[in-house]
Amino acid sequence: MVIGQVIADGISIAGILIIVALGLGIIFGVMKVINMAHGDLIMIGAYTTYVFSTVMKLPFFAGMIAAFVVTALVGALIEMLVIRKLYGRILETLLATYGVSLLLQQIVRMIFGPGGKSVKNPLESSLSIGSVVLPHFRLFIILFAVFLLLLVAFVIYKTKFGIQFRTVSQNREMSECLGINTSLIDTYTFAFGAGLAGIAGAALAPLKTVSPTMGLDYLVDAFMVVVLGGVGSLTGTAIGSGVIGEANQLLTLVTTETLGKILVFILVIIVIRFKPEGLFKMERR
Amino acid sequence: MKKWTVWIALLTLMMLPVLSACSSSTGGSGGGGNDGIKVGVLFSLSGATAVTEKGMANATLMAIDEINASGGVNGKKLIPVQEDLASEPSVAATKAKKLLLEDKVAAIIGCYTSASRQAVLPIVEQNNGLLVYPTLYEGEEYSKNIIYTGATPNQQLQDFVPWLVKNVGKKFFFVGSDYVYPAETNKQVKALLQQQGGQVVGEEYVPIGQSEFSSVVNKIKAAQPDVVFSDLVGDSVSAFYKQYKNFGMDPKKVPIASPITAETDLISMTKDVSAGNISSYGYFQTLDTPENKKFVEAYHNKYGKDEPITDVHESAYFSTYLLKMALEKVQDPSDTTKLIDAFAGLEFDAPEGKIKVDEKNHHTWLHSRIAKVNDNGQFEVIVNSDKLIHPEPWAKVIFPDHAEPWNN
Repeated sequence: MVIGQVIADGISIAGILIIVALGLGIIFGVMKVINMAHGDLIMIGAYTTYVFSTVMKLPFFAGMIAAFVVTALVGALIEMLVIRKLYGRILETLLATYGVSLLLQQIVRMIFGPGGKSVKNPLESSLSIGSVVLPHFRLFIILFAVFLLLLVAFVIYKTKFGIQFRTVSQNREMSECLGINTSLIDTYTFAFGAGLAGIAGAALAPLKTVSPTMGLDYLVDAFMVVVLGGVGSLTGTAIGSGVIGEANQLLTLVTTETLGKILVFILVIIVIRFKPEGLFKMERR
Repeated sequence: MKKWTVWIALLTLMMLPVLSACSSSTGGSGGGGNDGIKVGVLFSLSGATAVTEKGMANATLMAIDEINASGGVNGKKLIPVQEDLASEPSVAATKAKKLLLEDKVAAIIGCYTSASRQAVLPIVEQNNGLLVYPTLYEGEEYSKNIIYTGATPNQQLQDFVPWLVKNVGKKFFFVGSDYVYPAETNKQVKALLQQQGGQVVGEEYVPIGQSEFSSVVNKIKAAQPDVVFSDLVGDSVSAFYKQYKNFGMDPKKVPIASPITAETDLISMTKDVSAGNISSYGYFQTLDTPENKKFVEAYHNKYGKDEPITDVHESAYFSTYLLKMALEKVQDPSDTTKLIDAFAGLEFDAPEGKIKVDEKNHHTWLHSRIAKVNDNGQFEVIVNSDKLIHPEPWAKVIFPDHAEPWNN
């Protein structure tokens, strides 16, 4: 029955990875911006939830919505002040967003102090099937990840913004000729990706530690998922999360935590070696 | 063609911590002149470990203020020269050099991580300076230029482990962050366990900063220990405690015992998660003594009532008083050799009770206490050591015949 627990945990980690990587998938995958501040946007989402649910004592889910709004605004601001000048210069976006990352961390540290904060778990009980224990909150995260995937797919494929956003990412000049305000679409897209990071922060706050440096851990995970799954592909993000989540759990079952992590990295490197564009390549015309 | 951009990028990345540290340094030159004694205060005010070190710097500055308000050292005021090492050991070395050579401080109080202490060690040895190091650490070190006022592992463990075996259970599962402190500490816990007839049923070390513990909790469940012994640090602590409870473990039945989880960590978890777990330290904020109440009140009045005070903050505070007493015993504060010798045998009524610097080994005799987190999410001291515990940089349980470098 241990294996059942391990597989269940792998799915719950995959859920966390999907939530964490979705925003990056849009910003890195589609806009070609290496966003080193992605982890810090997650952190800002977590702090927003802390303010709403712990300080103001509002329901947790109000905190989640607020987290989306606040980080989306921060994202829009970053896009207008920094990223806008740097499209097409990938290396420079890496440096600039690294600076933004340090800046955001220090601002949060100045406002909230360097110590960790706590957010109460809104679903404390857990579900037991045989010897497999799945905390309700983890179950919620799995369902929420699926919901977010569908939501993002809907936004990208069915809304007017989604169509314009895909047009701009495929051929900027042609879109401009067709009368699309490309710089406005850029701002919206970045804000949308940032908002998704904020929601990730909200979802993780009751499970993990809320601190100014919390983002770093997720940054690496998110990049790993996006690169493995295939840059710019939603299916890739989902499958990449599943593969990494399950591989991580199954490997740590037979070896130690640190070695398990290293083996996952090696696995990702091997896949990238043979499929440099990731598991799912986005069709380009 | 593009290669140089990459190099510039890398260089800039490496420079960032240094740059950020430069901008936040607060020069202490000017003022003072000949009528004061300069004291270096070297902690991280930014970066990963600032969470704890900021408070240590605050406790040091508060002690300096108190000392100056009550007449200073032989009529001379202490002048703090504060530097930020930005959680970077290399910056610690640079700043220590600056404090010793440019500011000519009589002593430096500072450093939290072992990495920063080890970076400062050669600097104080080469320039015959003095570092007062107020942090518990893994031991196995002695420098003629360092006074260690934090606990060595034996001081926290030699009462703690037998107590756990006797009162909680014999089967231990180790969870730790993957670096030197947990490795050295657990070596000692294992030696003590062997003496007590306890047993190790599992062991897991995770990379620093890891916050996903489902697989670790699974292994703990399978191993069915009586005690989970944690030396996790940083963001991992509250993530582990939360998920431990979340996956159906009950800290009131199988507690997490730790020599490193402190008041600062309790704030980042809710009380239903922390209640029942056990920590061992010489000092706890909730300690019920008149000296401690005075200390906690003064600290909270100065820095805000929600600021957590931990063992290392108290160490930084009494270390400053020890330095004052040592300075009072020497004619010339710049005579470092005499100043270091003046520390031997010093006694002081610290918030944790009377403490004493060892006559020989540059470490400090301290108390040992065991505290359980109560339902309000606060440490409640349940065991007090009745006497001071001898500091053993090389613990007798693992190094029975180690040479004692302080005798050379």
